[in-house]
Amino acid sequence: MPEETGNKNPEIVGFCCSYCTFKASEMAGSLRMKYPEGIKVIEVPCSSRVDPAFIIKAIVEGADGVFVSGCHPGDCHFIKGNFYTRRKIAALKEMFDAFSMKDKLRLFWVSASEARRFIDKVTTFYNDIKEKNNEREKA
Amino acid sequence: MKGKKLKSGEIENALNQFLKDEQHLVLGFKKGESGVSHQLFKGALDHYSLVNPVFGSNAALYLRRLFSKGLKVMLMLRPCEIRAYVELVKLTQIEREDVVAVSIDCFGTVSSKEKKDDVPVEADKLTGYFKDKDSMRWACSVCRERRGVVGDAGVRIDKSGDFWMVPYTEKGEDLVSGIEGEFEEAPADMLIAESAKTDKFQVDMGTFNKDFEKCIMCMNCRDMCPVCYCIDCVFNGDEYLPKGDALLNKVFRTGSTQMPRGKDLFHLIRMYHVSQTCVGCGACEEACPQGIPLTKYFKGVSERLQGVFSYMSGRSFDEPIPYVTFLEDELKDAMD
Repeated sequence: MPEETGNKNPEIVGFCCSYCTFKASEMAGSLRMKYPEGIKVIEVPCSSRVDPAFIIKAIVEGADGVFVSGCHPGDCHFIKGNFYTRRKIAALKEMFDAFSMKDKLRLFWVSASEARRFIDKVTTFYNDIKEKNNEREKA
Repeated sequence: MKGKKLKSGEIENALNQFLKDEQHLVLGFKKGESGVSHQLFKGALDHYSLVNPVFGSNAALYLRRLFSKGLKVMLMLRPCEIRAYVELVKLTQIEREDVVAVSIDCFGTVSSKEKKDDVPVEADKLTGYFKDKDSMRWACSVCRERRGVVGDAGVRIDKSGDFWMVPYTEKGEDLVSGIEGEFEEAPADMLIAESAKTDKFQVDMGTFNKDFEKCIMCMNCRDMCPVCYCIDCVFNGDEYLPKGDALLNKVFRTGSTQMPRGKDLFHLIRMYHVSQTCVGCGACEEACPQGIPLTKYFKGVSERLQGVFSYMSGRSFDEPIPYVTFLEDELKDAMD
């Protein structure tokens, strides 16, 4: 990735389910597709392993954004894990909304074969955060 | 709704009757020399008070991990305390079998920190005292449910000042049928009406940081919260709030930091963890030595988060807590 001078690159933490999204990110790697360096992927056994406390901790400790990503609803390796994730993250989003930082959290579903979708999703997220940070710096 | 009109002294009689059994206890309020406080009665009532206009702590706190069999505990508490009890039952912290929970209409309370000597303890005088919403705690002035409509039975006060006892469950019916008098249709309009809706909570991190600037991380708010029940809290270890070497390592990696560290982390995580079960009683604010407006945040956030699932903490025993259940077809706009 060519670095633009002057702008701080955002750091994004991603919690990825090891059966779907993490596999997709590995596939993206083996296909030599690129996504921004600022994205730090953390492998979790299931997206419902992510306690919203992890997300809050990541944000408080300096991450510019956090995403949680797992299998499509209904495709969970553990049958119903991602339904719980959906509820938890929906509530956490509402809480972030109350603190006016809703843009820092995203949830998406990426299955193991969707390497391109993974790249798309994380790159858009990265660019959105970068744009917001730049705007804030200017203001 | 059917209920029984209570003559004066009838509640005390019924409770004394109940207490005659050696295995029975009543958790209620006692009039002391310096105000009213919680009391666990055994044997007989003594200076019993039906209402308590001073809020010190939420009594559901004392009921956590109550699993005993064969004895009976009657709770004669405020609606917020009964609602916290209901949540704890759902969280399997209390065995429901041996508890009869009676919620009593609440007029609002004053903080125990600024104890006012002129607060009356009689129900009929309290209406006048709390006519002005500024005279009560902020948490009470925005309370979501001050009516005694939760638990197994409720003590309601009608517009002419008469007391009613209304059963909501089978256990409540047993209790009420032990009281003298005939079942009558209770009036729909009681003295304490449904609470008005409050505005959606909205704040930014700047205000949040300013409000929590004073926090000294004593964690009294966590310890006094009736629904913050984890034995092994995530903040007890080193992972979230590093101490000693772990703290120094962290500072070497990230840079200088204000002490105590992790105020925002602690409060935000706790806010999320109790979001679906918070009853908005304000016990956290009561316990805070620094006077941080905790209720504003915890109640505001929990109301919004409960709104996502149309849930209300403590409303009924049958509604599961949203995080432990799901529907396959819901929250279509949750993902981006």
